[in-house]
Amino acid sequence: MKINLKLLGGMLFMLPLTMAAQSPISGFMKAKGEGSITVTQSREDYNDVFLVPNKVNSVPVFNEVTTKSVSLYAEYGFSDRLNFVVSLPYIQTTGEATPATLANNGFENERSGFQDVSIYGKYKIKSYEIMSGNLDIIGALGVETPLGNYNVDEGLQSIIAIGNRSTDITGLAIANYKHNSGFFAIGQLGYSLRSNEVPNAVISELKLGYAASVIYGDIYIANQLSGSDGVDILGEGFTGFFPATQVNYTRIGANMFVPIVKGFGLTAGINTYIEGRNLGDSTGAYSGISYSF
Amino acid sequence: MKNIYKKFGIALAFSSVLLTATSCETSSSYEDELPSIANIAVSNDAFSTLEAAAINGGVAGVLSNSNPNDASGDYTVFAPNNSAFARLGLDESTLGVLQTPFLTNTLLYHVSNGNLPSSAIAADGTSASALGGLTRRFINRDGSLFINGSKIIATDITAENGTVHVIDKVMIATGGNVVESAIALQSASVFKTPELSYLVEAVVFAGLADALSNPAAKFTVFAPNDQAFINLGAALGLTFDEPSDVRMIDKDLLTAVLLNHVFADTSKDSFTSELNAGSYDALGDDNIRLGAYNNGVLTVSGSGNGTPANMVIPDVQTTNGIVHVIDQVLLPVL
Repeated sequence: MKINLKLLGGMLFMLPLTMAAQSPISGFMKAKGEGSITVTQSREDYNDVFLVPNKVNSVPVFNEVTTKSVSLYAEYGFSDRLNFVVSLPYIQTTGEATPATLANNGFENERSGFQDVSIYGKYKIKSYEIMSGNLDIIGALGVETPLGNYNVDEGLQSIIAIGNRSTDITGLAIANYKHNSGFFAIGQLGYSLRSNEVPNAVISELKLGYAASVIYGDIYIANQLSGSDGVDILGEGFTGFFPATQVNYTRIGANMFVPIVKGFGLTAGINTYIEGRNLGDSTGAYSGISYSF
Repeated sequence: MKNIYKKFGIALAFSSVLLTATSCETSSSYEDELPSIANIAVSNDAFSTLEAAAINGGVAGVLSNSNPNDASGDYTVFAPNNSAFARLGLDESTLGVLQTPFLTNTLLYHVSNGNLPSSAIAADGTSASALGGLTRRFINRDGSLFINGSKIIATDITAENGTVHVIDKVMIATGGNVVESAIALQSASVFKTPELSYLVEAVVFAGLADALSNPAAKFTVFAPNDQAFINLGAALGLTFDEPSDVRMIDKDLLTAVLLNHVFADTSKDSFTSELNAGSYDALGDDNIRLGAYNNGVLTVSGSGNGTPANMVIPDVQTTNGIVHVIDQVLLPVL
């Protein structure tokens, strides 16, 4: 089956957005003048936390945490080789601390606001026709920085902070192989430089999927290995400043996209952690609508 | 050139597969690491009140880290479990009845510098706490080891930054003498609601404050709480609305009654772990009768009490004695 790559390029986008634990950009390129705008809403819950050495079954102070977000994601083909990607999430985190605990500590059960805006450029370095398909080699570079004035230094209140207040510069190398049948595999490998005491991190992702004109679906496994200069929550060096913690994880998930009509499409996905260090063992889902032009 | 990219692409694909697959964060990568003392409290359901107290009292960060005040970098913590807090009516939702500075000090009284393994704990020994060096003492009762009035029910839980032993009662030390300790409760420095207000008023009215402040004494005191005095007033046909109402009682009688709340032997103060059923001479004319030792408490009565009093807050350590707060005034035969 020979698929219409241009059409695919028009509707394959994103999906990464809301979930910090998925690579910030997709492995697909848009053609010159083409673009897409996507809005999603997501929800994640956790009550287990990956601490060292063991997972605990209740979030300290807040017992259970729910994160909801609404995200805007836009991608545009400046040329066939150069695309730009912008994303902006608004995040609300809610804890389940008891009224007594809130009163005792002066805490609140909710934090919300615009989190970090990210802007990426991705450049298709080379493209080959091999093995009855197409291999793209893509390089990407982006910056992510806090947009809202949310706090991260409120002691244990910041267990439900909406971000790290870190400015990140991330470089990614991406290999995308699409078979003519529609099946594809994308590998990403990158490094992220981070400020505000957040340890730098190696990020990687492997995604397998199927893309045709009537449906797109993928499954992925994503990993972050954070610098060992980070501290463990409640471990040596921990001062209550959460951005400084070493956050590692392996996350799996699935994404789906269905074009509807006139460039509009619906997207949805699920994801969960299978291992981690210093973060909540959350499981989440999102859905959204996308417009491609 | 083209081939280089192609090879790079294939290599990249492989390496990202390998990295993602092999670097998978697994618990095995750090299961050999020891938890910190704070982590033990957070990880263990039996310590959820201690966890909340440590957070509220501001010591969770301290107990996450090495001890800067000891060469070993370690702490030893006698950790009260949830049942221990529950004896005082305390759990995560009720900790707010305590003043935070008092809570912090109480937690520090459970902490000491360096490692104190159970093998190094000997009955009749003492251990200085992190609360201004106030000491705790070890007691052997029927083959069980106690620290103050608290039974040590599990030992030698090893943490990255020290050792944890589990105890069945919260230990309380005030850092003041018997009178100052009562005033701390009366002035709402312990609970946010005043307690022992009638007792403090009665002691002042009876002119016993100086005697009970004697730094050379080692008193064992049974301190009736406010409700005990209010109930006494009712039994006497009086209505006690405020502490000064105790002055309605004849001063000499009140003095005699108060003296019946203190052991005559002031050379040795006693925790519950050191007390047994029997009759003890009081500073007053009456005797103090103790019921059987039962799960860390004993009933207390004077010769005029129809039913014995119960200990509400046992084993409060002061600088010149040990105070057991009780729920009835001990009465002579009137």
